[in-house]
Amino acid sequence: MRWELSQEQSDFRDVLAGWLTDRCGAAEVRAWLDAGDPAAFEDRFLAEGWFGVGAPEDVGGQGGGLVETVLAAEELGRVTAPTAGWLGAMAALPGLLAVPEEAKALLADGVVTVLGVPADAVPGAAPAVAADGGAVTGVIAGVLGADRARRLLVPVAGGSLVLVEADAAGVEVRPRVLTDRSRSVADVVLDGARGRSVPGDAAVALEAGALRAAVLVAADALGAAERMLDAAVSHAGQRRQFGVPIGSFQAVKHAAAEMLVTVESARSIVYLAAASLEAGHPDASAHVAAAKAQVTAGASRAADTALTLHGAIGYTWEHDLQLSYKRAKLDEHLFGAPAAWNERLAASLDLVP
Amino acid sequence: MDFDLTDDQATIRSAVAELAGKFDDEYWMSKDRDHAFPTEFYDALATGGWLGITSPEEYGGHGFGITEACLLIEEVARSGGGMNAASSIHLSIFGMHPVIKHGSAELKARTIPRIVDGSLHVCFGVTEPEAGLDTTRITTYAKREGDHYRVNGRKVWISKAQESEKILLLTRTQKLDEVAKKTDGMTLFLTDLDRAHVDIRPIPKMGRNAVSSNELFIDDLMVPVEDRVGEEGKGFTYILDGLNPERMLIAAEALGIGRVALDRAVRYGNDREVFGRPIGQNQGLQFPLADSLARLDGAELALRKATWLYDRGEPCGREANTAKYLCADAGFEAADRALQTHGGMGYSEEYNVARYFREARLLKIAPLSQEMVLNYLGSHVLGLPRSY
Repeated sequence: MRWELSQEQSDFRDVLAGWLTDRCGAAEVRAWLDAGDPAAFEDRFLAEGWFGVGAPEDVGGQGGGLVETVLAAEELGRVTAPTAGWLGAMAALPGLLAVPEEAKALLADGVVTVLGVPADAVPGAAPAVAADGGAVTGVIAGVLGADRARRLLVPVAGGSLVLVEADAAGVEVRPRVLTDRSRSVADVVLDGARGRSVPGDAAVALEAGALRAAVLVAADALGAAERMLDAAVSHAGQRRQFGVPIGSFQAVKHAAAEMLVTVESARSIVYLAAASLEAGHPDASAHVAAAKAQVTAGASRAADTALTLHGAIGYTWEHDLQLSYKRAKLDEHLFGAPAAWNERLAASLDLVP
Repeated sequence: MDFDLTDDQATIRSAVAELAGKFDDEYWMSKDRDHAFPTEFYDALATGGWLGITSPEEYGGHGFGITEACLLIEEVARSGGGMNAASSIHLSIFGMHPVIKHGSAELKARTIPRIVDGSLHVCFGVTEPEAGLDTTRITTYAKREGDHYRVNGRKVWISKAQESEKILLLTRTQKLDEVAKKTDGMTLFLTDLDRAHVDIRPIPKMGRNAVSSNELFIDDLMVPVEDRVGEEGKGFTYILDGLNPERMLIAAEALGIGRVALDRAVRYGNDREVFGRPIGQNQGLQFPLADSLARLDGAELALRKATWLYDRGEPCGREANTAKYLCADAGFEAADRALQTHGGMGYSEEYNVARYFREARLLKIAPLSQEMVLNYLGSHVLGLPRSY
């Protein structure tokens, strides 16, 4: 087997990385987070055509496939870009594709539409929203990007999907504060809100959205972990104690080497999972589960190691490590903790239930 | 709080260390290699009067508690004898406890003095192939016939059965479906291991090869009523009394192996030079050994507290299980790191740490797995639902 990025994929990643370096540096990110308003970034991300990376061109996407979307997620995670709306939309996309004009509204017109599910669990659990005629009622706790969205794709009890305008009557979006300020969630309170029914099998769309979200979060964690590795190595080369750079101490070297192992293995799992899911491989669901569980758990551990290697400076608000650290910690739990995804893997084994 | 040993305890520790220290690496290496019982070592401890450390004074013992027994067996393991040394005497040190507590005066008079002088080797016959740790599911059956019981069944993982004259044998005298409480109907015997009616087959295994582990096939073994320990049907409760002390002794053995492994690793780390300096100067080797020291010291404190509670007659299930868990983990980790410190030489028999590694691994399984300890702590201490 020989597997590597195509020249086009590799070029795409370099171009996006360059774009992010220019427009999404730590100073800019901090300014957006301090203001609690990432709209400046979101608008440019949409306007300059990055939002639809990997989505089908016939509905307004930029083309390519899930590997391209994953490369974008990795680079966005690396710079801790505010991506709650984008990630929520990527989870909703499989459901929206059933209605091309709705998908076009998202991808071509920038009508951000996020999946209305709790962000701390694997999408697909029984919905807390009920439909009565054309009106939906219920509370969805902690929806990723709900505060950044114009529409919500809401799973409703009974197995259907309903598209609701965020500013419609009977819809209240209550933002909540996360430790990781580079993403946002909000409770969505629906009280007889009117929506449009979306055709198609809701369970299939939710499962596809769950897998897509999982592999993208894993890629996000990979980007964050690699940035923390780079920062830790750089710090260890500069910081001197007992007359030598602390990077000359074996315990520091070995800790950094362990992080490198985490990053490299994460990359192998994430890209495989993306390609597998894109190709409809029979084991795709297991590949994605392994990626979400292993990569986000590994990145979370790497975050702790990075903090150790930085010492007290890494614990300060001034140092940028906090941005990536919190990013990795949220990624571990976003759309299902490792235990939840491991449970899926366990279910696929021939074990006694 | 007082962390000092008593004068007696300090004496026991140094005297046992000195006596056990007379048996060198070569001795244990060859016993393990040849699957030969360490008779000379056993005899030396018997002659020194150490086997009766916890036996009552009226039977010639010293009447000390589990604290002293643990100090003794820890030093035995730490001498480099490891589990081969500890297992050769383990049952004599505290295993007769159910007999001492519940046996008839007659039974005690004809067995305990011989435990103390070393002439009587006993093994412990509880576990069965189909029961494992689910002890009430044992099926070895003792049927009363006049002044005897006729015993049939199978036992497995019976340490030292090959070398033993007698067995402390747990049986059912009522079947599981005949009793109201599943712990009822079990009867304990201390009886001769009559080779004409018990087929003893050693189990080939990973380590601790100087002391056999065996499968027993019991076929019409006739056991005199006088060999019964206490009352019929109460055997399970008698065994239960001894479980906490057994966990503490095993913890002490794990601690001893961890200590000797760490000592050897430190010696090698100081002596061995690579890249022009002692390998112990590498943080990658020094830190794991320092970490093991901290973990062994912490585990030791848990063990000391457990034995202190037991000897005061206070409940100690939490502490005994915790001590077993921490000591087994710390002991194995120290042995593993000692092996790693030795590099390729660690994998050879020449440096002994491979033997410690194999033996320390046993203690994460015996007498019960680490997972079963967690079951105990989870349900009995924390009050969570029983998970098994």
